[in-house]
Amino acid sequence: MKKFKLLLAGSVLAIACMSALLANINEKKEETKSLRSVPKMDRWETKNEEFRKLYPRQYDSWKKTRNSDDIGDMLKEYPELVVLWAGYGFAKDYNAPRGHFYAIEDNRNTLRTGGPVDAKSGPMPTACWTCKGPDVPRLINEVGEEEFFSGKWAKYGSDIINPIGCVDCHNPETMELQVNRPHLKRALASNPDLINMEDATQQDMRSLVCAQCHVEYYFKKVKTAAGKKAAIVTLPWAKGTSVDDMEKYYDEINFKDWTHKISKTPMLKAQHPGYEMWMTGAHGRNGVSCADCHMPYKNEGGIKYTDHNIGNPLDNMDNSCMTCHRVSEASLLDNIQRKKERKTELHKDAMEVIAAAHLEAGKAWELGATKEEMAPVLMDIRHAQWRWDYAVASHPAFFHAPEETLRVLATAVKLGGEARLKLSKILAKYGAIDYKVPVYSTKEEAQKVTNLPFKKLIDQKMKFRNGLLKEWKKEAEEKGIYNPKSTEMVKDKTSYGQ
Amino acid sequence: MKENKIVFYGSILSFIIASCLFVYTAYASNMLSYLSSDPKACINCHTMDSAYATWSRSSHKNVAKCIDCHLPVGDFIAKYKSKAVDGWNHSVAYTLNTYKNNIRISEDGANRVQANCVRCHSKTSSQMLVNKNNYHADSDEALKNGRRCWECHKYTPHGKVRSLTSTPYTLGVNVKMK
Repeated sequence: MKKFKLLLAGSVLAIACMSALLANINEKKEETKSLRSVPKMDRWETKNEEFRKLYPRQYDSWKKTRNSDDIGDMLKEYPELVVLWAGYGFAKDYNAPRGHFYAIEDNRNTLRTGGPVDAKSGPMPTACWTCKGPDVPRLINEVGEEEFFSGKWAKYGSDIINPIGCVDCHNPETMELQVNRPHLKRALASNPDLINMEDATQQDMRSLVCAQCHVEYYFKKVKTAAGKKAAIVTLPWAKGTSVDDMEKYYDEINFKDWTHKISKTPMLKAQHPGYEMWMTGAHGRNGVSCADCHMPYKNEGGIKYTDHNIGNPLDNMDNSCMTCHRVSEASLLDNIQRKKERKTELHKDAMEVIAAAHLEAGKAWELGATKEEMAPVLMDIRHAQWRWDYAVASHPAFFHAPEETLRVLATAVKLGGEARLKLSKILAKYGAIDYKVPVYSTKEEAQKVTNLPFKKLIDQKMKFRNGLLKEWKKEAEEKGIYNPKSTEMVKDKTSYGQ
Repeated sequence: MKENKIVFYGSILSFIIASCLFVYTAYASNMLSYLSSDPKACINCHTMDSAYATWSRSSHKNVAKCIDCHLPVGDFIAKYKSKAVDGWNHSVAYTLNTYKNNIRISEDGANRVQANCVRCHSKTSSQMLVNKNNYHADSDEALKNGRRCWECHKYTPHGKVRSLTSTPYTLGVNVKMK
């Protein structure tokens, strides 16, 4: 009996202890839950300033992208561009990139988007908004991809109002990184050699969120289920992500962005294949993500956080480069400078030869060259310009992938040269063996060569900015998606001086 | 006799209840997870959120899990002894809330970590000893193992600032938990 008494006493004691322990465990679990909870935020809160109270350091550093506000008129720097892009939007206005903060401003102010007078006018489709801010994924979620990508750019003037910010890369419910735009998911799924979205690690995501926009894309023309015409942003990655793979892809579907005004070439415009180029370079191949250099960790009063002032890591070498490279900043900068000089040399050669090929092709047409004679020339010009553009259109590819940049530029120069060789035969045949291309050395002179109605474009734009644009802002405020205070400090800056 | 019966059935019943409660406690406390090598076992207690978050953003995240540095590697008995001692100390501290925001490693724990630094980075550390002999740097305390690796490599792997109140953005813990 004594044994049972002991068992009883022991069990009762154990029950008492375990109950106390369980109560404690439950209490700690509640504690953990509240400690790990994410502040409540609406899934589609697109007003960036709303995040300030919860993530002040990230927000404040993001807002510093406002300091990157110089307008670098690339057409002024390289007048050849006006000829290379004749007949296409980029010949109207093309500036070096500014901070994320200005994404919407710049999209509305550029001459490329024209001067719409209502929701249905203007030269550009809705697709031109795709990378400009968090309102885009919100709208795609609301109306569907097909509806979003149909209609004119002006259709969403009062809906897309907040510049690239929090919800472009984060899910506000958990603040984890996410790919919000369906075109990247589709592109990754189109090619088994690329990362599978499901398996993407945190480190992969630190680049993939950038790859939503810093990639090559085109507008795929489709007819929607509702019978509308849509231009859907699509990445040409099905065959691979190299310049050659994408060229093949475009050639096979006979795609062209536009027909060149002078040479009548079916042209391709390379957008900004930053992600594709980065993959081929030393940093990409060693698993250094975009955020590792462009958003390095930072300490502030004892708190470590990710710097959201995305820009040139060379402005912040102490936190970016110097984390890994144990040499002097000066020697790294010197290296980079030499990479840039090498690129610029070939870059200029390529522009010169391709621009001349366009003008000579124009002359050949004028003299009566036939389509059959010109076909191989146009193909060379198409490929040459695509390759030149691919190498220089992304944010410094000469740094991300110096070898690939020089290789691609070399093929551009080669193809441009081949086009001119063929052209010299055609010109000789039509009695113009001594034809010299027109000389131009400024943006204005180049605009004359290509008959660009610059003044008219500016007038249209100013009418839009003083009219419809003001209505858009008012409407957006009424819809509750825009806080005018968030942009009151912004001064309009453009390349056309108004 | 009656009293005996009450004691008999009462003891059996309470033993069964105690056993069931034990099983439930084992479940509620994720007891078995402590036998694994999964870093997530270490964030069963939120006290470790800061350590986990800083590690999961560090250069070691893909090459070393918590136990690769913090427990003896190779010696089975030493490993489980450390696990038992740490486990006891940690659960007492966590249960009774006796820990402070800025948690410091114990002397024993530091010795284990130091041994594990050398275990993987022996090429570097052995060269340092060679250099010491070559250059007669016997007066250099650092090379006499008077200092530990992280006294210089301050950010490895948890960052320099890792108090529980200075890592508010441990949201990454959520990401890894899904």
